[in-house]
Amino acid sequence: MKKKKIEIFPIVNGLIFIIVSLIIIVPMWKVIVDSFDLKSAYGMKLWPEQIGLAGYTSVFRNPTLYHPLIISFVTTIAGTFLALTLSTFGAYVLIQWEMPGRNFFANMLLFTMIFQGGMIPTYLVLKSLHLTNTIWVVILFPALNVYNLVLMRNFFEGIPVSLFESATLDGCSPMQTFIRIVLPMSKAALASIGLMFAVTYWNDYTHYKLYITDSNLYNFQMKLRSIIMGSDLPQANNGATENTVKNAAIIVVIIPFMIAYPFLQKYFVKGVNIGAVKE
Amino acid sequence: MKNNKNQSAVSNNGSRSRLAAKIYKYRGFYLMFLPVFIFAVIFFYLPMLGIRFAFTDYNGIKEATFVGLKHFQKMFSMPNFWSAFTNTLVISVVKLFLTTAAAVVVSIFLNEIINIHFKKVVQTIIYLPHFMSWVVTASVFSLIMAPTAQGLVNTFLVNTGVLTSDSMIYFLGDSKWWRFTYYLINIWKETGWQTVIFMATLAGINTELYEAAAIDGAGRWGKMRYITFPALQNTILTVIILNLAKVMNLFESAFVLQNDAVLDVSNVLETYIYYQTFNSGAIPNYGYTTAVGLFKSLVGCVLVLICNNLSKKIREGRGIV
Amino acid sequence: MKKKVVSLLLVAAMVTSMGCGSKDSGSANADSGNANAGAGSETPATESSEAGGDAAEAPSDVEKPEEITIMVDGTVFTQENGQAEFIAKLEELTGIKINVTQPDHDAYYDVVGQTIASGEWPDVMILSSTYYSGYASEGVLWDMTEAYENSDLKARQDAYGSTSVIDGVRLDGKLYGMPATRGNGCVTYVKQAWLDACGLQAPTNYEEYLAMLEAFTTGDPDGDGTNGNTYGVSAAGFVGTEAPYINYLPEFYQDANPSFYLADDGTWKDGFTEDSMKAALTRMNEAYKAGVIDPTTLTNGTADCRNKFYDDSFGVFTYWAGTWATNLKTNLEKNDLNGELVALAPIAEVGTYLDRIPPVWCITSTCENPEGVFKYFIETMQDGGDTQFLWTYGVEGVHWSTAGETLFAGTENEKVYEEGTFHMLENKESEGTQYTKAHIDPMLALVELADDPLAVEPEAKASAELFNANCVTADLVPSTDAMTEFNGDLTTLKNTLIANVVMGEKTIEEAYAQFEAEGAQWSQSIVDSLNAQ
Repeated sequence: MKKKKIEIFPIVNGLIFIIVSLIIIVPMWKVIVDSFDLKSAYGMKLWPEQIGLAGYTSVFRNPTLYHPLIISFVTTIAGTFLALTLSTFGAYVLIQWEMPGRNFFANMLLFTMIFQGGMIPTYLVLKSLHLTNTIWVVILFPALNVYNLVLMRNFFEGIPVSLFESATLDGCSPMQTFIRIVLPMSKAALASIGLMFAVTYWNDYTHYKLYITDSNLYNFQMKLRSIIMGSDLPQANNGATENTVKNAAIIVVIIPFMIAYPFLQKYFVKGVNIGAVKE
Repeated sequence: MKNNKNQSAVSNNGSRSRLAAKIYKYRGFYLMFLPVFIFAVIFFYLPMLGIRFAFTDYNGIKEATFVGLKHFQKMFSMPNFWSAFTNTLVISVVKLFLTTAAAVVVSIFLNEIINIHFKKVVQTIIYLPHFMSWVVTASVFSLIMAPTAQGLVNTFLVNTGVLTSDSMIYFLGDSKWWRFTYYLINIWKETGWQTVIFMATLAGINTELYEAAAIDGAGRWGKMRYITFPALQNTILTVIILNLAKVMNLFESAFVLQNDAVLDVSNVLETYIYYQTFNSGAIPNYGYTTAVGLFKSLVGCVLVLICNNLSKKIREGRGIV
Repeated sequence: MKKKVVSLLLVAAMVTSMGCGSKDSGSANADSGNANAGAGSETPATESSEAGGDAAEAPSDVEKPEEITIMVDGTVFTQENGQAEFIAKLEELTGIKINVTQPDHDAYYDVVGQTIASGEWPDVMILSSTYYSGYASEGVLWDMTEAYENSDLKARQDAYGSTSVIDGVRLDGKLYGMPATRGNGCVTYVKQAWLDACGLQAPTNYEEYLAMLEAFTTGDPDGDGTNGNTYGVSAAGFVGTEAPYINYLPEFYQDANPSFYLADDGTWKDGFTEDSMKAALTRMNEAYKAGVIDPTTLTNGTADCRNKFYDDSFGVFTYWAGTWATNLKTNLEKNDLNGELVALAPIAEVGTYLDRIPPVWCITSTCENPEGVFKYFIETMQDGGDTQFLWTYGVEGVHWSTAGETLFAGTENEKVYEEGTFHMLENKESEGTQYTKAHIDPMLALVELADDPLAVEPEAKASAELFNANCVTADLVPSTDAMTEFNGDLTTLKNTLIANVVMGEKTIEEAYAQFEAEGAQWSQSIVDSLNAQ
């Protein structure tokens, strides 16, 4: 009975996931097909009617996209690093349940998630700090994200208390414990929350459009967005219809995540063997 | 152990020096919290002074004048306010639970896939819809759900004999079907992304636990039920409670999928306020929008506090933060 | 639990104490904003008295400003598209140093709002009609009526027949902003190939229009051998989201107006309550039932409509006049279809198309020398000469050229220009496309441009001319308290009822009974407030 289950389950499970993946792909297939199709159509096609890369060349040969691409890389890398620093520091402090003031800090952070000042006061504060229209605003402003910080703390909670205790006995300072125990034990957490931050930074356009008016500081997403959304400005493209270019831009937005995710996944598939760390 | 410490803290009356000693012991941690504290103050607490505008008339031009609770009175007396309010609560809470449940189920079964490459491919595919903007998603789904021969879903239902070609369903244009369709689209778009956090949690399970369970004779279902699912419990609680804080902020997904015919079931607070301002022909009164924001925050706050207290029962007295 | 409550209270206390502690900085901020705003509300008084004095003593003696700051949306060249060269040339022509702030096009009005709140106002900004009337009534904008009445610009615009456009943006007779162009609107395009396939002429009245839609729906106008797989007309929704609301289906609405309008007798009325609206709803309902209107009109976006038009799903499309005529044609041809479109003159029952209210260039009331800015910046934009040429076509060698050259060599779109032929150059941001204009669309200009090469495609020119010859400007509805209070809910109700009636979920009687019960009082109080002005 049990043996039979073990044989059947992986197959059924695999089949179900194949079906699920297909269903997930169908709506995206429309975008993919349209991005390669030189003819534009409203309806769904199984395959491009007249296949061609003109949509993509039109996006990639656009010289004004390269500078924004650099901005995107810089802000994403710097921002993710800073954001992970803040989240891990904050999360590490929040698992010190006995620390005086710990609950105050926790509530202080939770409070920021629930109450916001509004658009204009935020702008006035950023302006008085001379952050508006600089690259700093898009790096610093999203760096503290309490949602991710709490998730991080959630992961840290899973680290056995005995590890901290033995580290303290060995005379490790909090910072040393953090670097020697907490970080190595949290690869999956760092990978997943790092991914969340990277996605936030890479996809960010709200902060750009509200706080930056110098288009030399715009990122890749801002530029692609204007291709995707700027549909009401007349454009008759040479090689491709407006629909082809638009769909190519949508795919270009997704590509980095298609490439990046499989690299991060190795941190998710390996279970941590705590015994091994301990010894 | 915990109890012990509590007792000793209570029994000691020279608490001031004790406290000082304790603070000294944790000095390194305070230092580590300092940057977080500074960021919170600058980027959240300074702008929060703007909450005072909720009690004023302020259009960004003339000095704000104190009007007391005027904006709240107006808000509560607006004819469709309460229907928008309940729509928001229902739609976003149901959406939250459905997408989280879907993500948990998918994560648990994804965790059982043995072939790593297949697992990676599946994971990547199901997380990609998250990166399509809502505008694009809406336009693709209004095609797929269309009540015409071009609509994939209706065509499928007609071909399988569920519907006839005259009785096609206008999923996004019919009040009876709109919410169902909305949830479906949300599950499609966000399930995969939510599994990222759950998969990361599962990666943290001590493999020894599975080995021990196997020795105890636990089968696949037993392991899933007694190890995998409990391991996710904390994360599930955290995700749900954190999201409850933002429940009232629902805007974009409802906005792009709604239309004139389904507003009775789809008009949420944010879209309602948007139409109010957009159609009023006047420059926005920030006092009013701040008041609406404050109201939403209060609702979020209540929801979080309630659920946090419930979660303490499960989490041995600790809240989610 | 108790601990938690205490610490929550602590946090709250912290917020409030910070509120007090940093109140100085907070209110200092607000104060500095208000100081400026205060100065702003004072400035016009002093300025205008000065202006009055100046006008009396030496009318032509307006000082030229040295440097101004302007805030513009995406309708002025972006940095990637040669803004630097454009501004350099403009500075050379006007002799004024010009600093440009150009926020992202989508967030333009958010940034305008923030900038106004911060107290550092630009001298000049572009505003849409809603923000224009709102800011004007709040005293943000400088009253340019007097400067305009005595200007050469007025003479030039009057001579070109643009008086009604300027009058359309007056508020209570006063002018706080200057449009650079007409607002433009939509005309109805019909596929010539479809007319030919069905053996029809372009319709001139509703009966013929409806017959055409039926032929397009039941026949085989696209020639794919299948009858009935096409629709007559499609639109992005049954009613528009912005004035004029009837833009996309004018043939069905005809004289109906779902919103407020100024009747001939000089009083404001709510068109929704009138019989003309009921008749329009009946027409749409019948047409929808007959299947000649695209069944997914309710959920269409504008891009969806365009794609359906390009793939020959439907044949009649009411869309923007001018450049879009070319754009529709090109996209049809890319799909190997016949791109020839008939821009329909308004059918007899429609009478005229509607011109939108154009965006306007405004001078803020904190501007130190508004007369100078008006005379040397706003006026020169439409001087009929070099500066207007710059605002219309951009900079030679960057945006246009007369050199002999080949554009898009080696592609299907190859264009060969002889030496001396005026032509627009390739768009830097969008490969394979040419610029069509700078800020002023030559087809929508308010002042005649000397030596205008009018480098526009023939079909664009034809549709623009047809539109200009057959349009009236939509009414600028002033904002009142009752409007702010009720119009949001009222519009929502109206739009829902329109959708319900057209799609057959409610009869006209049911819909109007509901309107009487829920919306009539809002409608009445808005009408009263408008008439009380």
